[in-house]
Amino acid sequence: MNCYMNTISIIIDDQKLETDPGKTILEVCRENGIDILTMCHLKGVLDIGACRLCLVEIEGVNKLLSACTTKVAANMIVRTNTDRIKKYQRITTELFFAERNHVCAVCVANGKCELQDLGYKVGLDHIRYPHLFPQCEVDTSHPWYVMDHNRCIMCTRCVRVCNEVEGAHNWDVMNRGHQVRIISDFNSPWGESETCTSCGKCLHACPTGAIWPKAIVQGQLQKNPGMINELVEKRKMKL
Amino acid sequence: MDKRRIFISPVTRIEGHANITIEMDDNGNVSDALFHVNEFRGFEKFCEGRMYTEMPTITPRICGICPTSHTLASVKACEMIQGIQPTYTANLLRRLMHIGQNLSSHALSFFHLSSPDFLLGYDSDPAKRNILGIAEKYPDIALRGIRLRKFGQELSERITGKKIHIMGIVPGGMAYPLTEDNRKALLAWIPEAIETVQAGMSIIKKFHEENAEMVASFATSPTLYLGTVGPDGEHELYDGKLRFMDTDGTILQDQLLPRQYLEFIAERSVNWSYLKYPYYKPFGFDKGFYRVGPLARLNVASRMRTALAQREFEQFKQMNNGKPVHGAFYFHYTRLIEALSDVEDAERILNDPQVTSTHIQHHGRWNYEEGIGSSEAPRGTLFHHYKTDETGKLKMVNLLIATGQNNPSMNRSVLEVAKQYVKGDDIKEGMLNRVESTIRCYDPCLSCSTHAIGQMPMVIEVKDKKGVLLKRLERN
Repeated sequence: MNCYMNTISIIIDDQKLETDPGKTILEVCRENGIDILTMCHLKGVLDIGACRLCLVEIEGVNKLLSACTTKVAANMIVRTNTDRIKKYQRITTELFFAERNHVCAVCVANGKCELQDLGYKVGLDHIRYPHLFPQCEVDTSHPWYVMDHNRCIMCTRCVRVCNEVEGAHNWDVMNRGHQVRIISDFNSPWGESETCTSCGKCLHACPTGAIWPKAIVQGQLQKNPGMINELVEKRKMKL
Repeated sequence: MDKRRIFISPVTRIEGHANITIEMDDNGNVSDALFHVNEFRGFEKFCEGRMYTEMPTITPRICGICPTSHTLASVKACEMIQGIQPTYTANLLRRLMHIGQNLSSHALSFFHLSSPDFLLGYDSDPAKRNILGIAEKYPDIALRGIRLRKFGQELSERITGKKIHIMGIVPGGMAYPLTEDNRKALLAWIPEAIETVQAGMSIIKKFHEENAEMVASFATSPTLYLGTVGPDGEHELYDGKLRFMDTDGTILQDQLLPRQYLEFIAERSVNWSYLKYPYYKPFGFDKGFYRVGPLARLNVASRMRTALAQREFEQFKQMNNGKPVHGAFYFHYTRLIEALSDVEDAERILNDPQVTSTHIQHHGRWNYEEGIGSSEAPRGTLFHHYKTDETGKLKMVNLLIATGQNNPSMNRSVLEVAKQYVKGDDIKEGMLNRVESTIRCYDPCLSCSTHAIGQMPMVIEVKDKKGVLLKRLERN
């Protein structure tokens, strides 16, 4: 019998772990120093399993499941670093780069970009899929910030942080497939938004150079995505 | 009459890719020569729609040799849009980085690309007529050339952390200061750098003495000249105003603001090259050919800013009794005088007490719809011209690159040298090397990227008018 009444046992990558039920596989992995790749996960906002990078194998389940949206269960056996998973991570990363126009050399986020880091982590030295080279707008209408759809990977971290943390819900999503786009209000220029409070949380949430302040150039970008969860936690504090 | 054509494809030991066509008549005399630049980059078009503040990051990618000049012209255009000026220290650091790039480029041009012609000879074995051949026969010179280039790149690296596509030059100033340790490390290079430039100077002077006839007659067509000068007409690379000079040395325009460039410069396209033909507007296309670059800068300048360079400058000015020197060969000499000035100026800046100050950036935002900036790239005056909408998004980009401005003169020089050296049915490789070397005098930056020496094949085909191959020379 388990001596810890509120904990369960699971095995991740042959490592037996005791954890609280109700946590996601990703949370347990992060707590125990097991590295899992993610792009759409942002601590402080709801997980949606959009990027498909955190897929894991669970014994007894045929399909791969996203670690950020799958809760741990007693005696679950999870594998995070099999060849199959690495293969899918590589494919997903290549598709990120092939879908829009990512030119790291001239990007404002060069050296401070989670997508660039991901490329290095999976050893991306070439892309096997044809680039789509879509014609994407650069929305410069906001007085302080720029939204460059060329560099957006549709992680929707900006959408969630704007809705859940700021409560403004300026950002949303339109269309489907590779036509999908982040929109401001009902697809109007960002500078004309009636809901945006210009708080800048979307800028800190954005993992790439898609949202950035007009006042800076390459080498000056400072993003602090951890600030989102700090805000969320501080709001829970009782004074 | 049946015509024969010689294609030199590609032209070697230059930055970029180009061909030369030499047309010959039945008597084996050159009737025409064309310099083709067969690359298309498209920067002006695909930058439209971007934020103007991205241009100092995007445009240096035009060139691996002169990225700092592009960044400087670009930030100046951005500063005009914002209506701000950089801080005193930022100007010092920018000058230092620009000097570094100029030195690095001039070292590459002289020691790596051109010195094989001077030290090994125009007719020497093409397989060894490169920096590796120099390393074998003159190891000290090769090493010095390589180290001078290293010093130039270190001037950027020790300020911004990058040697080539530098970051950190931003509208309003600089993003990074210079630390005291780095200042001292850079100062330690100065004596060696001066010695190296002077060693290069000895090589070119010796070549001038031993080949006086060739130097005096090599592509000597007179042209107008354009260069940047300081308030007293002194030689200037980073910041200043423009001076146009005619073939006799009369100053046509002086202290022009870079933003006035369209009043004096127009461009025309030709059907044999992607490179446009700029000309001095008041004289029209036929008479308005002008040159830029080290020869032009020294021709238009009234004096140098530093002592040793001034001494050389005075000797240079005596060559044509104070009038402009037109021979394309003198590009090499003037390049070295500039390099000497660069090293002396770097020492002056590094000893400025303000150079390590951390007051390096003024902050601004979009205020005006148009910005024009210029700088003196190693190959000549460079202009960046942007127009934006009221949000800062670019509507128009015009980049007037130094090599473009030398294009009409390069074409003319190629014809001149081809007429002088290419004759008859028995076309020797050495003859064609002289034609190529005309282009190397200008040190053109065609794609603005270097390629590995020794890996570039050269094929020369002599064809008749109908395209039938008469003769083929191959160089590996």
